[in-house]
Amino acid sequence: MESDKNKFSGGRKYSNKEITVYWKPDACVHASYCYRELIEVFDPGRRPWVDLNGAVTDRIIEVVNMCPTEALTWKWNDESKNGNVSIDQTNHINFRRPELVGQKEPEIADNPVTVKIMTDGPVVIKGDFRFKYSNNDKEMKDGIISLCRCGQSGHQPFCDGTHRKIGFEDI
Amino acid sequence: MENNDNKSKGVIIEVIDDGPLKITGNFILKDLKRDLTDTPEEVYICRCGRSSNMPYCDDSHKK
Ligand code: FES
Ligand code: FES
Repeated sequence: MESDKNKFSGGRKYSNKEITVYWKPDACVHASYCYRELIEVFDPGRRPWVDLNGAVTDRIIEVVNMCPTEALTWKWNDESKNGNVSIDQTNHINFRRPELVGQKEPEIADNPVTVKIMTDGPVVIKGDFRFKYSNNDKEMKDGIISLCRCGQSGHQPFCDGTHRKIGFEDI
Repeated sequence: MENNDNKSKGVIIEVIDDGPLKITGNFILKDLKRDLTDTPEEVYICRCGRSSNMPYCDDSHKK
């Protein structure tokens, strides 16, 4: 179970001593660089899926910079270092998430459950809800689940990426 | 901790075996492909991939 302190607007954040990594699930296009490059840190099968103790900071920064969207961004915890970050640090928040720069992450006042039907992909549910499947009945606090809509996942009821392989189109 | 006395209270996500996903309660439904945002209080989302009324279940899973 992830604690509320990991929340920020639009996703979650994870820190080690040196950096904070922001994860914004909405922005992920499943390019998969993160876990192919660094499964020790980015493991979609683990909760929480990001563990910044899994590698040295330089390597984490390198892989976060590979993310083609703002799904993964980062900043130095030492704010004085965030002022002049070089442009090749592509996924530093200065370049990708300017709205986070210099921000003390605001609390999310109201946190409605969202159910998102992804284009030709899974349904992603976020928030506080009760989740019943097979013989499970779980209270999810600030949970995120991604459930298969294509019918072909090998890990039902969850999406395992098969929809892409089979070219699922929900017309 | 914030209190739980908000709109999200009472959302139940239920996976129906060999059937759709039943969602009830107060939630925001967003369909990115059809560019739809709605707040239905009960919805059945197709899980079999065969509905002709996506994203909703139309009972095609029984065929
Ligand atoms: S929707 Fe992703 S595996 Fe079915
Ligand atoms: S689950 Fe009912 S039509 Fe797909």
